[in-house]
Amino acid sequence: MKLGVIGVGNAGSKIVDKMVEFESLTNRKLCRHVMVINTARTDLTKPDHIPEDRRILIGDTHQKAKGHGVGGDVDVGAEVAKNDMDEIRRAFDDVDIHEVDAILVCASLGGGTGSGAGPVVINELQKMYDEPVYGLGVLPGKYEGGRPALNAARSLQSFVNNTDNFIAFDNDAWRSKDQTVGEGYEGMNRELATRIVTLLGAGEYDEPTIAENAMDSSDIIRTLDTDGISSIGYASTSVDNSDGFMKRFREDHEIEDSSNSAAKINGLVRRAVNSRLTLPCEPSSADRALIVLSGPPSELSRKGLESAREWIENEVDTVEVLAGDDPRENANALSAVVLLSNVTQTPRIEAIQEQAVAAQEKIAEQEAVREEEIADLITDKDGKIDPVI
Amino acid sequence: MKLAVIGVGNAGSRITNQILDFEQSTGRNFCNGNTLLINSTPPEFDAPEHVPEERRLTIGDVYWDADGSDIDGDPDLAAEIAREEKNDIIRAFDLIEFHEIDGILVAAGLGRGTGGGAGAVVIDQLKEICDDPIYAVGVLPSDAEGEQPALTAARTLQSYVAKADNVIAFDNDEWQDADSASVGRLDDSAGEDERDDTTEDDHDVDVESVGSGFENTNVALAERLVTLFAAGEFRNSTVSENRMDPSDIIRTLDTGGISSIGFASSDLKQAGGVRSWVRSMSTRFSWMPDPDWAYETETDDDDAATDAAKINRLVREAAQSKLTLPCEISSADRALVVLTGPSRTLSRKGFEGGRYWLEREADIVEVMAGDEPNEKSSSLTTVILFSNVTDVDRIEEIQQTALDHQESLRTDGAKLGTADSQ
Repeated sequence: MKLGVIGVGNAGSKIVDKMVEFESLTNRKLCRHVMVINTARTDLTKPDHIPEDRRILIGDTHQKAKGHGVGGDVDVGAEVAKNDMDEIRRAFDDVDIHEVDAILVCASLGGGTGSGAGPVVINELQKMYDEPVYGLGVLPGKYEGGRPALNAARSLQSFVNNTDNFIAFDNDAWRSKDQTVGEGYEGMNRELATRIVTLLGAGEYDEPTIAENAMDSSDIIRTLDTDGISSIGYASTSVDNSDGFMKRFREDHEIEDSSNSAAKINGLVRRAVNSRLTLPCEPSSADRALIVLSGPPSELSRKGLESAREWIENEVDTVEVLAGDDPRENANALSAVVLLSNVTQTPRIEAIQEQAVAAQEKIAEQEAVREEEIADLITDKDGKIDPVI
Repeated sequence: MKLAVIGVGNAGSRITNQILDFEQSTGRNFCNGNTLLINSTPPEFDAPEHVPEERRLTIGDVYWDADGSDIDGDPDLAAEIAREEKNDIIRAFDLIEFHEIDGILVAAGLGRGTGGGAGAVVIDQLKEICDDPIYAVGVLPSDAEGEQPALTAARTLQSYVAKADNVIAFDNDEWQDADSASVGRLDDSAGEDERDDTTEDDHDVDVESVGSGFENTNVALAERLVTLFAAGEFRNSTVSENRMDPSDIIRTLDTGGISSIGFASSDLKQAGGVRSWVRSMSTRFSWMPDPDWAYETETDDDDAATDAAKINRLVREAAQSKLTLPCEISSADRALVVLTGPSRTLSRKGFEGGRYWLEREADIVEVMAGDEPNEKSSSLTTVILFSNVTDVDRIEEIQQTALDHQESLRTDGAKLGTADSQ
């Protein structure tokens, strides 16, 4: 699939940056057009792989943003994007839409810019283009607190309503304890980029391939064409791609799991579904599924893919399971990516909604009494003391 | 966040000076020389060594020269003077590069005439010409300063809260009890007649030889303000993962009202010997080379595991520390947590855990958080801003003292048959 990728906000921009990094490391050709949009000038200096002229600052003339972010306020984020729509549209003009099969908008839903400006950008893209527009959104963790949960619960609705599919990533599921503030997101963004690029980059090569089961972008588009929320599973195992003595030597020791590529592939796909999904969910609630198997051609087996497909058909209980190969001549790993499209049983989203409702009530309560409480505090009970001016 | 810092009155001038001092000594860069002192006491300012001569404005000299009397202590007179000398004040504002800044900090003692009365007018005048938020740092007088400052503070606090976008309060009573015993002198209560004796001392005192009570409290206040507002404004900063944008600070303070700051710091295990020597020398002399190896610390396997706990604990300590204005933190409307230290020690889990603890414990929905990696720091520091705290016993105390004093003034005034100045 040929993709136009747009990162909105800090998290979205970094995901796009990591996607470009991963595709260049693995010689894939997925992201044909890349752009990042942000309200904070300093954050726009962070990407390593996005050309300067593909970084768009919005809201620098907005009184509340002024080029230094929107302070986590989703409404300001949306307003800023609407105000600067001409600028965003002008940046879209450079995108040759005939070159891309779909557009992916990446954002975090807990902050202000991605969650607010993201849906505005998506709306505009839907108006301008006939190609599908997908969302890739990061859900805030429980510990990020009530405000991000409220932002996410509101933004999620706009994302899902306006995209052709919304692929979710749950920060909570991917938290681990020994990360520093910086490393944590970096590692998570890399994991996410690996999954999304392996999935959507299937079938894009420099030269035409002769693989008979090769994944076609229309298969990916068909699987995503459910309008709902999707989750991705992934598993990978290293393969020795070198020839000669070392290879023979290793084969002797790995007889059990590599003697039969079909069994290996079947096992890998099961592992992917049972792995930590980008959004933990009940796989059987999925509407459609897609398997991409990526690795050296010698490791790919039609039989293995077929049996894995059947397994998922039973497991997910859907007849709409598409499967395809993504032969990579020089790959040193065999990877399986499983896309579960339109999953509806996701405990995390319910938890975020509960947290959001509580936060919304508290915020409304506080706003209602704010002025009164301040007045109470600064004046004496009988109002006998006068202000100086 | 880039700020202009304006000190009004003696206390305000000292705080401004201390902020600039702390900004320099920690290698931060957040006011770019955008400072101004406004005082009614000619010809000398109290401890202004970091503010150039042309940025010190004296108002009310006419009154002072005329009868030798002292306008300090009378907020109404000070306010009137500030209004009358508006042109001079506005001209002094021209020294501030408004396009360089994201907001203005006006520091003043609320119990004094100049700080309280003229300060409120200055804030009003700034609002006319500046769209950026204007925050006040208001020092509340201690009981030992007497009843008149309490009345002045009770009155000026109302004007400050009405005019400024937020008032960060600092309670002298809480902070000087501990320090004053050894010094015998109180910050803002230093009478005008004592001034000449103390001014010279003030110039000599610097951070390294903290000796006097008010220096201590001003250092504490400056450290808190700079760590909070200057987050991310290191001269050679690495871009932080989760940088505190000015918008985050502005949003937190957007509630209006009165705010308080908590602070906690913990020293990190440092490599000793040559490294620490190089470090200390290059901190002192900016021309010294500043090699990275001097900042490496000995790490062992335990470090990663304990970093999370350490940071979590530090956030709790800051919340429970002596706040600039003691208050019930659960009455706060919003909060902001800033974590500063070498990036390898900034454990995400610890920070998230601490932030979440604050949200639950203090029952605050909007707790913003940001980190400020500083590889050259030898400590971990957490600052918490509690915005719009409404349950503050100290303010009620001051109001009660003020009421009593106002009553007695009226009674005295009636007895003497003279007009009541209030």
